Amino acid sequence: MVEPENTRLGKMLLDEITPVVMVLRTPLVEESCRKNGLSFIEMLSPFCNFNNIDVPVRTASDHPYRLRKFKLRLFYASEIRQMNSEVAKDRLKQVVTHAGDRDISELCSDPPAIETIVATSELEIVPSWFQTFNKQLVDAVSFSEHESFDHPVACLVAVSSKDQEHIDKLVDLFDTNQLPSLLNDGAMDPKILKYFLLVHDNQDDILEKSTGILTEMRSTFGAHDCRMLCINSSVDGSEEHHENPWASYRNNALHKKQFGCFINVDDIEELKTTMQDLSSKHIIPHMELKIRVLNQQVSATRKGFRNQIKNLWWRKGKEDVPDNPNGTMYTFSSIESQIRVLGDYAFMLQDYELALSNYKLISTDYKLDKAWKRYAGVQEMMGLAYFMLDQSRKDAEYCMENAFSTYLKIGSGGVRNAVRCGLWWAEMLKARDQYKDAADVFFRISVEEPLHSAVMVEQASYCYLLSTPIMLRKYGFHLVLSGDLYKKCDQIKHAIRTYRGALVVFKGTAWGHIRDHVHFHIGKWSAFLGMYDEAIKHMLEVLACGHQSRAFQELFLKDFLRIIQETGKTFEVLRLQLPVINFALTKVVFEDHRTYASSAAASVRESLWRSLEEDMVPSLSVIKSNWLEIQSKVLPKKYKESNVCVAGEAIRVDVGFRNPLQIPISISNVSLVCEHSTESDETVSNASSSLINYQNDTELRTVSVSGDFSLDTPFFTLSEVGTSIQGGTSILVQLTVTPKTEGTLKVVGVRWKLSGSVVGIHNFNADVTRKKVARGNRKLKQSIKNKLEFLVIQSIPRLEGVIKNLPRTVYAGDLRRLTLELKNPSTVSVKNLKMRVSHPRFINIADQEAMDLEFPNCLKKHANSSESYNHVDCAKAPNSVFVFPETTSISADTPLVWPLWFRAAAGGSVSLCITIYYEMEDKTAVITYRTLRMYYNLEVLPSLEMSFKISPCPSRLQEFLVRMDVINKTSSESFRIHQLSCVGDQWELTLLHTVDSVFPLEYLIAGQALSCFFKLKKCQTRVTTEDNLSSLVTSARADVRLGDSDSRLFDTSISPLILFHHHERLLQEKLQQEHQSTIDFILMSESQNESESGQPRSSEILSHHTCHCRIASTSPIRWLMDGPRTLRHDFSTAFCEINLRITVYNSSEDHLSVRINTVDSTPTVIPVSSAASVSGNEEGWHDLSHLSDIKLTSDLMRSKVGKALSFESVSSFVWSGSSSTRFKIEPLSSAEVPLQVCVFSPGTFDLSNYSLHWNVLASGEGGDDEAGSRVTSSGTCQGHSYHITVLQKD
Amino acid sequence: MASTACFMIVSKNDIPIYEAEVGTVPKKEDAAHQHQFILHAALDIVQDSAWSTSAMFLKGIDRFNDLAVSVYVTAVIHTRLMLLHDSRNDDGIKSFFQEVHELYIKTLLNPLYLPGSRITSSHFDTKVRALARKYL
Repeated sequence: MVEPENTRLGKMLLDEITPVVMVLRTPLVEESCRKNGLSFIEMLSPFCNFNNIDVPVRTASDHPYRLRKFKLRLFYASEIRQMNSEVAKDRLKQVVTHAGDRDISELCSDPPAIETIVATSELEIVPSWFQTFNKQLVDAVSFSEHESFDHPVACLVAVSSKDQEHIDKLVDLFDTNQLPSLLNDGAMDPKILKYFLLVHDNQDDILEKSTGILTEMRSTFGAHDCRMLCINSSVDGSEEHHENPWASYRNNALHKKQFGCFINVDDIEELKTTMQDLSSKHIIPHMELKIRVLNQQVSATRKGFRNQIKNLWWRKGKEDVPDNPNGTMYTFSSIESQIRVLGDYAFMLQDYELALSNYKLISTDYKLDKAWKRYAGVQEMMGLAYFMLDQSRKDAEYCMENAFSTYLKIGSGGVRNAVRCGLWWAEMLKARDQYKDAADVFFRISVEEPLHSAVMVEQASYCYLLSTPIMLRKYGFHLVLSGDLYKKCDQIKHAIRTYRGALVVFKGTAWGHIRDHVHFHIGKWSAFLGMYDEAIKHMLEVLACGHQSRAFQELFLKDFLRIIQETGKTFEVLRLQLPVINFALTKVVFEDHRTYASSAAASVRESLWRSLEEDMVPSLSVIKSNWLEIQSKVLPKKYKESNVCVAGEAIRVDVGFRNPLQIPISISNVSLVCEHSTESDETVSNASSSLINYQNDTELRTVSVSGDFSLDTPFFTLSEVGTSIQGGTSILVQLTVTPKTEGTLKVVGVRWKLSGSVVGIHNFNADVTRKKVARGNRKLKQSIKNKLEFLVIQSIPRLEGVIKNLPRTVYAGDLRRLTLELKNPSTVSVKNLKMRVSHPRFINIADQEAMDLEFPNCLKKHANSSESYNHVDCAKAPNSVFVFPETTSISADTPLVWPLWFRAAAGGSVSLCITIYYEMEDKTAVITYRTLRMYYNLEVLPSLEMSFKISPCPSRLQEFLVRMDVINKTSSESFRIHQLSCVGDQWELTLLHTVDSVFPLEYLIAGQALSCFFKLKKCQTRVTTEDNLSSLVTSARADVRLGDSDSRLFDTSISPLILFHHHERLLQEKLQQEHQSTIDFILMSESQNESESGQPRSSEILSHHTCHCRIASTSPIRWLMDGPRTLRHDFSTAFCEINLRITVYNSSEDHLSVRINTVDSTPTVIPVSSAASVSGNEEGWHDLSHLSDIKLTSDLMRSKVGKALSFESVSSFVWSGSSSTRFKIEPLSSAEVPLQVCVFSPGTFDLSNYSLHWNVLASGEGGDDEAGSRVTSSGTCQGHSYHITVLQKD
Repeated sequence: MASTACFMIVSKNDIPIYEAEVGTVPKKEDAAHQHQFILHAALDIVQDSAWSTSAMFLKGIDRFNDLAVSVYVTAVIHTRLMLLHDSRNDDGIKSFFQEVHELYIKTLLNPLYLPGSRITSSHFDTKVRALARKYL
């Protein structure tokens, strides 16, 4: 624990509570002193401060003690009165303003880190001007009448040797009218110690004259009380002082003259002795004497039991005295005042025990008298006395608190006293390391006007900083509070200073409102002071304030833009927060050997293109076939590492922006920032003048007033985009850069202009490095770095391609002719064009002749239809590459036009990718080939849906019934069914009914369903195992006209239809099991399209393909019993023998062994197993829906058999011949078996009691014995009913 | 119900993970930052007193003008529920804290909630506001 005297408060008290000396002087005295640039008091003051006066003092007690530190306070008589509150306020304001101006330079520097602040000592943190301010506050309440330590103890009367009539002057000076009111109104004893001083100016007067005057004075006023002071002994006024005692006055004086320039060493020595003499020989003994006198007096009247009782009784009698806060009733002669004086004198002479006992004595009296101000004053002094004695801290604090609250209680008059009391109190707490409590006290002081409060709150904040444990958050909070108060009194510099101090605490805090508040206000106020850089820096922090309310966002943005406008400059800001860059580099699109016809094409996955181009693009090894060629053509190593792009072709970078605010923001001039370096001097990275190296991470940069960034440099051209982003939304901006010359192009970042005033720059590389640090993913960094560096090579041809009149939305089945148009804008020609389509089902490359044909009539059958188109090129297999004829050349003027067939094969959203490969005519180019990628997306709506069911005709083996169901699935469109064709020349299709009965209406309107039946007949009995495709030839019989009869039929065997059919077949083949004897149907229809644009009604042709239709059957065999139906026979002669024939057809692809069993008796086994076995093995023969049918039929059969049993217990006919006939049938062939039945009586007979049992033989084995051939599958079929009527022949 | 009440949940790292103005007085725009300041500063006091007592509910540990700060220090990863209020209803505040604490624990049980991250659940928000209406 430090000695109380050595604490700040101790020093302050030893400084403040000291005897006051009233100074009276003639104007000539002042004049003499002015020569030195000092006033009289200023000249004397430095010598009134004695650090080791070493005077023995004896107060009330008998033991003398030695006084070490002592000080006199000198005041002119005119100053000894209470300061006007306005004046005091002005002075304080001056102090604050002055301090504010002084440290403006520090405002721009970065605040120190929090650790350093914690480490530094109090003196360094707390601004030094606080002491000045506090002193001013304390001084403002001095010379209050209730505090006798401010009452002058002595009076110093000074005359100049130049004055005339010295004695009169001296008397006149002590004229009571001009003396302070304190002496006159009875607050203090007017009989005051006087000390007379003759100031001798060595320059103007001779010493002898002055000595004469002094003698005269001595004789008048007494020898001890007079003294002569010689000044201005130096002649030339160039006296230099090593330690100028007046140095501290420099601030107050304006002139540059050296202080005390006429005062030489002797003068200083004399000044010293004079003041020492005054204090040690006059003032201190005078005070001692007074203390002793008063003490005796007090002891006599108040000490002792009797006196106390008396006093109490006397006080009680005055109880009804009204409250008098001013307490004017106490004159200097009253005992209360005398006790107070005694206490104060003792305090000043540092006899704190005595002081305290007197204060205690008086305190109760004042309290009983309700003289609150005096009471508070005494309490205050008690507290201080306790402190100086280093006794009972609690009591000290209690007294201070009591005093403080009492001062506040008495209202406006006590506020300033309260402030002083609070300051002392706080200092007391600080001296005892109770910083937190001190902070509370400081905060409590801040009740008066805002400026005081601001300073007090700021002091409180420093107390929080100094407290243990450190209370940083409180520190920050109170700094902000004081900043607000400073702002209220227009002390903006201080406000900024405090806020910046608080920023140390709040930097990077997650408490959004706090951070925004601090930054925003620093920014705003800095701008107010014209520190725009600082302002913008802080404003940038709050721009992306998504958590704030809309009003605040608007305010922030508005203020920010206003500040920017005020600067009149355009700023470039690295890391501008608004708008936020969302995943910088969403996509980078550039064209090396890959070129894109549209941006949509670029967004298709690269792997898709790769697979499409697989066969077309020469692989790398192919290029390097020859070592000589390698020398000339191989790309430098660098080429392979970085991306290659072609001069004159744009590189597109997609950058995502997000607006975190709720208000829309507008960005303009969005463009890329690029660097270009020519190949020759790679060491020089910046070849282009418009490029700036952003690597040095300058946060804020001022560009020229115009602030325009040239978009067109000699090396590259940039695109510029401007847009507005709605609140809370994201947009994707496509930016391009087009290099003009060869070299290396590097995309460095993106720049944009916010609301037309601030330029934001985002550095892609910085992004990457940051990411790298976060993840440590080297691979990622590599890839992104590569993404942004481009090797620009010389211009080479680039084809532009477009497919004309490709519809966006079509109905499924729509068949069209499209034209592909390829243009080559450059002069260099290209060769070896190849093309490939991702969906040959949808797009087929036509022959060039198709261009000239009239569509759709070209599809129709010609009257003299020849077999010219019958052969279909097998090479156009799916995914084949189409090679354009060698003669095809493309020049700039004449684009290549090539027809394409289009058919909307399947419903849904379809993406069509078309890639065209071409090679450069110019062999020297770095890139020898390129591909053009085209991408189209179209919507295919469902149109007609059809299904076919083919069932065998019960009466004919080679005839089938076909049921066609068609549903119009569109919502509004109507279609006209034109024709149904079946593919293949072995079929003949006829309608079962007339056309009119099937189609009562011309059109199939939306939602309508239709069923119609056809008869299908096989013309050829045998189909050889020819190539599948070559069998796809049609005959005229395969088409059935369903629509109006006047139009010609479509020829389904010519180019586009057959091609598309082929693809359909391939596709549907995948879905179903491969089987030979299937049939494909093509339904042609027309839609009468009311085209929106009012074009001539073009009938659109739709083709629907259903392939691989099969006969709905459960068994591989079909048979037909043939024979007479009715015959007459004379049963009298003999029984009737009837010859029958069964033709069995094997519709499977296996060899079958069939056995016919004829049963005369009742069949015991109900042959249901056939169905099971068939379904077990040959799934492909029926689909699930047919299963129920099978069961039904089998049930039917069973009942039938049962019925036959019941009424024919004894059959009237028998099968003759062998009861079991076995034979083999080749695949897809038939066999005939004769049967005979013997009928014994006339009647009608159902010859259904036979069964066919079949076995599938393993192919290739011809063994006729059952054991030899491996049976893989078998089944039994019950015979069909065959009724025969035999009549008696007459 | 209190006319001014600002409720906040502060995570271990002194990061606010939930905040709500639950007073009846329509929220003033500039009050938001003031409330944050007071609560933030109160953390200093909480830091001191939380370890000197075994009670979870620290009532009125800090005040600024007529606003008092009450804190409920949870045992779970030192999350603090802080309430800035101007009412004297200590019992209500205590019940409020207890109920919110329960809610917070339920939030913690959510496997998708990362302790210490911001509570964005609208359900939590509705519940807290309902509790505030009930108790404060």
